[in-house]
Amino acid sequence: MPLLDDIGIPLDDAELNRRSFLKLLGSGALAVAALGTAVTSVEYLSPNVLFEDETRFRIRRPEEIAVGTLIALPKQRVYVMRSQEGFIAFSTVCTHLGCMTKYEPENNRIFCPCHGSQYTIEGVVTAGPAPRPLPRFELVVDKGFLVVNTRKAVSQDTILRYSA
Amino acid sequence: MRAVTQYARSLLARLTDNKVGRSMIRHGWAETNRNRSLVVFSNFFLHIHPVKVRLRAIAFSQTYYLGGLSAVTAILLTVTGLFLMFYYRPAVPQAYHDMKDLEFAVSAGIFIRNLHRWAAHAMVALVFLHMIRVFFAGAYRPPREFNWVIGVLLFVVTLLLSYTGYLLPWDQLAYWAVTVGTNMADATPVIGPKIKFLMLGGNALSENALLRFYVLHCILLPAVLYMLVAIHIWRIRKDGGILLPPASEHDYEKRSGKGYRFEAGRAVPDLEVKE
Amino acid sequence: MSESASTFAAVKGEDSQRDPVRLLVVQGEARPPVDATTEPMVMTVPHLLLRELITLLAASLALVLISLIFNAPLEEIANPEKTPNPAKAPWYFLGLQELLHYYPPVIAGVIIPTLVIFALIIVPYFDVNLKRKSLFEANSGRTMAYWWTAMILVSLLFLLSGKHPVWPIAGCVWAVALLASFGAAPKTWGALGRWSAKKSLAYWVFYWFLLTTTALTIIGTLFRGPGWSLTLPWRDGIY
Repeated sequence: MPLLDDIGIPLDDAELNRRSFLKLLGSGALAVAALGTAVTSVEYLSPNVLFEDETRFRIRRPEEIAVGTLIALPKQRVYVMRSQEGFIAFSTVCTHLGCMTKYEPENNRIFCPCHGSQYTIEGVVTAGPAPRPLPRFELVVDKGFLVVNTRKAVSQDTILRYSA
Repeated sequence: MRAVTQYARSLLARLTDNKVGRSMIRHGWAETNRNRSLVVFSNFFLHIHPVKVRLRAIAFSQTYYLGGLSAVTAILLTVTGLFLMFYYRPAVPQAYHDMKDLEFAVSAGIFIRNLHRWAAHAMVALVFLHMIRVFFAGAYRPPREFNWVIGVLLFVVTLLLSYTGYLLPWDQLAYWAVTVGTNMADATPVIGPKIKFLMLGGNALSENALLRFYVLHCILLPAVLYMLVAIHIWRIRKDGGILLPPASEHDYEKRSGKGYRFEAGRAVPDLEVKE
Repeated sequence: MSESASTFAAVKGEDSQRDPVRLLVVQGEARPPVDATTEPMVMTVPHLLLRELITLLAASLALVLISLIFNAPLEEIANPEKTPNPAKAPWYFLGLQELLHYYPPVIAGVIIPTLVIFALIIVPYFDVNLKRKSLFEANSGRTMAYWWTAMILVSLLFLLSGKHPVWPIAGCVWAVALLASFGAAPKTWGALGRWSAKKSLAYWVFYWFLLTTTALTIIGTLFRGPGWSLTLPWRDGIY
């Protein structure tokens, strides 16, 4: 029995054209299918509904917070600070690698235990590897309560003006 | 003693010398070199090896068996890992409570967990030492270059296995080490945040991430590891065994007392030629 | 055929050892050279297989003993509200964590590891010299000047680029530069000089890589405490 691969089948031009067209069509279809598979996989792996903690929450009444104090809410991962001008709310998560910072009242600073970054009580970096200040969040007074939304970052000079 | 051994052998031979036995193992039991070759030829797992090996290649002092030891730790990790899976649920907070149960409520649970943890540490060290040994032997050079690349990939897979496994106990150590790790991925330009989101299956390190790391640690990465290991060992055979320094006559003379007969010669012809 | 063979026979010149020139690399079909060797051979079964089994048993025994004596650490349940101080990864990642002390995450956590893996992968594709030259073999005076200039520039890069001067890496650059320099005068430095004179540039780069990873890992594991501050293990213990 001869090996069929050794015989070779003579092809005319029309056949060759047809074959190269089909090759192109076939590889094109494969490429589209591969791309579709990749995109679908990434989409499948990105959850659309997340059971994460509520990002908008009440803190307390503004008049309950004295001027110059900082309140830490570790569960919600937010600090609220009252200065002379008003209130600011900012993240407790270190901008370096996501560790939880800690407020140290005795040093009047915010400290990150992972790599030693330090911040002022307004969230400005003073030492360590942190690249950015702690991001500020939207803060409003709603029905007599301070309300923070940690999904909404605001610019670093935003202050909720408030005077008693 | 000898009689017992002989009896055991004849019993084994009688048990296997029938229709069923011969359908599984097609060679005889007698210790002939032909049968020894057939053991390697006809065994699915052993055919990854050649039939014969150079005497120098299997000496401990040649390789310190670092590759073999890495493979042994991988096997131990697979077995102990399987055991741990019977008691572990990748959920919050059950994962942590299951660790405590393994420690206090399961017979030998803490032992299996210890074995898994220490074998993992040993594997990282052994794989790294293996890589150093291979580099200094110059064995990454052609024709073994692609096997070196597979080796580097195996090192990366080993580290990824360690990293994903580190989260599973869901203790403070695990949680913050992985937080730091995912935030490093987050720092990648352009695609960083998407990678982090895919790794965690959410915005923060939570139950979704635990389940993802569990699947990667128990299914995907071990599968990749075993596939690469199989190719890695098989290619050693295809590349003519491990690289040995050129043999000198002196080496042969040293071993001549052991009853091996050979003639002095070089394994690879000297290719240094002058234009 | 015999005629052409005699015309183009490859002969080994008397200076081939001193000054080899690579004409070609013969790879053939990559057939196992075991066919061509007269080395003593043994059967895989039982010689190799037995050794593999003994390795399996010995390693298992050692790990079983370790596991009976030492318990794997387990801390409190994960608490997203409180970061332990210090928060350390397992020892094999502490070299990387030490780098994070000096460089921003994108450099220490993404670029440097990627470059290291990439460098390891491409190693066999550029270093194919049949005989490796030692660093100071020819023209040792000029090579020495280039060598130290390069090494000082590289160490300056590490001293000036980070948030803090990266002493562990720069120190390793100097150590390797010094070790290699002994090879320039092997007669003066005895065994150290002779050892050093045999090494090529590829070796020195790899030594530097090894020394650096080891140094960073040791510092990260033993010498770092709360807030990633420098501690002494014999004074403050290991964190």
